[in-house]
Amino acid sequence: MTDQAKDPRIVLSALARSRPVLELGTLDLLFLAALHLRADGAALASFDEEKLAEVFEQVSALLEPRAERLRRRATHTLQRLRDQKLLARVDGAGLLRAAEFSLTRLAASIVESFLEDEALTRENLTLLTGSLRVSLAEILTRAQAAQAPEAWHTGIEGPLRVTISELVNGIERRQRSLDLEQQAFQVQIARLLESDWFGAVDQCLELLESTSRTLAELNEILLRDAHELSSLLQDIQEVAVAASAEGAEGAVQRVMEQVDRISAWGAARQRAWSEYYQYVHRYLCDVVRLDPSRALIERLREQLSQHTTRPFALAVAAAPAPRLLREIEPFKDDKPKVTRPRAERERAPTTSDAPDPHAIVEELVQGALARGSRGLCEVTQQVSAETATELQFVTAGRVAQVVARLARTTHDRDRQWVSVNDDLVIEEWQIANGGPRD
Amino acid sequence: MTDTRYLALGDVVADELFPDVDLALRRGRHIDREDPLWYSFLSDAQAHLEAFYRRFGCELMHPADGYFYLLPTSDRLGRRHLSVPEMLVGQALTLLYLDPATLQHGGVIKRTDALSHLAAVMGGDALTRTFNPKRKRLDERVAQETVRSKFSEALRRLATLGFVELLEAESLRLRAGLLRFAEPVRGRGSPAEALERLVARGELVLGDGADISEDDGEQEQEPEAEDALEPELPPQDLSDFDDFGETPSLDAAPSLDAKASFEPAPEFDALPEFEPLPEFEPEDEE
Repeated sequence: MTDQAKDPRIVLSALARSRPVLELGTLDLLFLAALHLRADGAALASFDEEKLAEVFEQVSALLEPRAERLRRRATHTLQRLRDQKLLARVDGAGLLRAAEFSLTRLAASIVESFLEDEALTRENLTLLTGSLRVSLAEILTRAQAAQAPEAWHTGIEGPLRVTISELVNGIERRQRSLDLEQQAFQVQIARLLESDWFGAVDQCLELLESTSRTLAELNEILLRDAHELSSLLQDIQEVAVAASAEGAEGAVQRVMEQVDRISAWGAARQRAWSEYYQYVHRYLCDVVRLDPSRALIERLREQLSQHTTRPFALAVAAAPAPRLLREIEPFKDDKPKVTRPRAERERAPTTSDAPDPHAIVEELVQGALARGSRGLCEVTQQVSAETATELQFVTAGRVAQVVARLARTTHDRDRQWVSVNDDLVIEEWQIANGGPRD
Repeated sequence: MTDTRYLALGDVVADELFPDVDLALRRGRHIDREDPLWYSFLSDAQAHLEAFYRRFGCELMHPADGYFYLLPTSDRLGRRHLSVPEMLVGQALTLLYLDPATLQHGGVIKRTDALSHLAAVMGGDALTRTFNPKRKRLDERVAQETVRSKFSEALRRLATLGFVELLEAESLRLRAGLLRFAEPVRGRGSPAEALERLVARGELVLGDGADISEDDGEQEQEPEAEDALEPELPPQDLSDFDDFGETPSLDAAPSLDAKASFEPAPEFDALPEFEPLPEFEPEDEE
């Protein structure tokens, strides 16, 4: 499977598009299990229709002895299982002859999960890790000799993906079985005590001891062998990196992760079981052995129910926390005082020394008139020469106003427009007597 | 004494674990094997520490069930008695601790299991009345809410005392110290005799812990929502929990006074210098 294909989003999207549904009743599951066991026992690769019907009748007789029309029900069940891809037709003959069916991988997995699986033991773990070690050593030898990409694919990557993964999966599957077994032990210990109380102590201790011993042994094997397996895998990975065999490198990486997971399992389970072991051990010593007649629970129940009428209270120490007195520091009023502003926010207008443009213009006009200017155009030219270019238009109006106020002006009926400069044209006035107004 | 790693009390006190263990014990914590470092420290230093704490008017107890705690035999160090909710919840948890079904999960139970067990043993109505002692007329919803909140508070306090360990996801782990709640009924004699013996040893007192605790004069903080729903109900007088974390009045009172005299009161000197804001002016005028 490529990395892209392993992306959970892509896988889930594809799964969502295909809309898979599994609807299995007890009869269906029993039928599948019966087929699986029959195939295992008789080494059958497939079942013809007659055999399927026969197995169905046996299962149906077990579950519903009075059921009728078994053939018809078998046909419906077969169709339902085929629709859910739990049974597959394998003969490929179509209409030519009667069909043959076998369980699909999905059906086999479902059945195996229901059937009791072999739990991890010292023997099978040693066997499995030994096989792993031998296989990895062979793969390492092949990797060191591999030249062509084809050799890498068939000699290293393929075995890593199939043989090694199967062996590691075998260990993991047995680990899960052992987990289930431990859970069952915990339930069993509780039930033993519930039913026999003091008489169950020895049995409980035996269960605890045996499981602890098993876990300790398994963890020891895992610690020792996982180190060797990791070392071999690392060697293969180094050779794969040197040969730029990316496929093999990825396969090694996945197996390394699986091996890490397996060794982590051992330590985690031993730790968890150790806690449980200690707890149960204390319980057996402190509670069961000290109260063999199991009267304490009843007496305590009675005490609790009557607490309101005969109350009592346990005493416990309650020393105050150590009081650490701080150093006394004189108060420093560093913060600015909060006061209302007293100053007036509005300020009185003040006189500024900015030049008055009107006064300037008037002064300049007076000067021009005093110099004997004869017309408005001449006065404006003299004043404009003293002012900025962008103010000439405004200044021309002010000049006309001041001239009209200070001098007597005359003009012809048809007033002439004359140019003051390139940018400004004004109406010409004649200044009478050539001087200021008296 | 020579078989331990501590030859003298000085060695015990010099151990880096001592301050934490000492503070925990003085605050009423029960230390069992679930605290392996502390427990082994106490086991090793037990002989030295027993004499040490006796000088403070306390006994370092180490029952056969495998836990340590400090039992005050005088008023030197300060002590308190568990409140009614703490006692009830503690006994219910002890029942669960003794129940073989709890073994299956290594002593881990759900909070709801503990409450339902308590209600099953005491009866729902009796539990509600016990947890709402001052109410004459009970609103079912409010009363049940009070039971739940007092139950949670009791659990929290029992956890600080080392009787249980609060885990995530509403779970808790029952610990060996809970067996203290079963002491009155452990012997073969009558519970009354056992109670007398325990009272004489200072292990417990008869009556409600809340009534006889040393700082029970504080008013219960009634939830606002409850007030709104039941305005006709009289306010609760005393809280079952208000004593928690408070300084017992025995030796602490002088230090409180002393602290008050040390406290500078800068704000009173500083106040006249402040210019009152408009909204404060009427108060100043008064």
